[in-house]
Amino acid sequence: MQQHTTVIDKAAMALSGGLMLLGVVVLGIVEILAGKPYSAAPLTNDAGEIIATPMVDPTLRTGLVLAGLLVLALYGVYRLVAPMKTETATTQQEITAD
Amino acid sequence: MGFHSVGTPSPLYATVVRNSICEVTQMSYQAANPLADDFELELGGAWTAYWLAFLRVVTGWWFFHAGVTKLIEDGLAYSYGPMYLKQMTGTALGPIPVLMGEHLGWLIQAMVPLGETLIGLGLMVGALVRLASVFGVFFMSLFWIGNAGFGHGLVNSDFMGLLLFMTMIVLATGRYYGLDAIIEKTKLVKRHPKLRYLLG
Repeated sequence: MQQHTTVIDKAAMALSGGLMLLGVVVLGIVEILAGKPYSAAPLTNDAGEIIATPMVDPTLRTGLVLAGLLVLALYGVYRLVAPMKTETATTQQEITAD
Repeated sequence: MGFHSVGTPSPLYATVVRNSICEVTQMSYQAANPLADDFELELGGAWTAYWLAFLRVVTGWWFFHAGVTKLIEDGLAYSYGPMYLKQMTGTALGPIPVLMGEHLGWLIQAMVPLGETLIGLGLMVGALVRLASVFGVFFMSLFWIGNAGFGHGLVNSDFMGLLLFMTMIVLATGRYYGLDAIIEKTKLVKRHPKLRYLLG
């Protein structure tokens, strides 16, 4: 069975995927390139003092992921509200070749 | 080289040709299903059904265990729930969790253990899996942001749990050895096909 994707389907996939990958992967690479800490949490010494903070605020990164999830949630609501895609019942007629 | 030039091919020659044709056919890369040559993984395949059903039941058990043990210990008065939300300041969710903790404390106390238990039950028996998983994503978003265990990066066990619930929604895992497969054949669902967005 072949599935047909509409512009809205593609937009939802591109936007949600883009936002989530930006938050997790792209800014994760930026964080690594910026040096320690390599993760999204501050680095502390043995005394518990913060010695390095993330370059990219984790709030921004998690916010991008949540935005991506929100896009998918809105897409889900759209699918619930919008009319269903009706499969056109086409039957193939056999035509005799000339 | 054609067959007509040498007459009837020998059985050995025919076997070699047949094997070569089969090899070429099987080795061809299928963009739609890259695993087709190595491992049958169609959505209707036996291994897919087995694995998605297994994943669904394990995910369900994870939440059911978390919920039912809270119910046993605290009943519908899980006071840690509102406390947890109130400490979620300065997150990407803004004031939402804190406001929920302050104004909906009575509801949170009951809904955390009850919600986790029902989500888990739904997934284990495979009923209303997509709807249950939406709530699962909601719970896991709060845990992921609230726990903020980002010491080893954003992708931690909370986030993987969130993705598991998303997978349940995308692949409609309730249709694999789940009650949703039966429910979706009822007259009610056939009359209201949009219910499949909540089932499956």
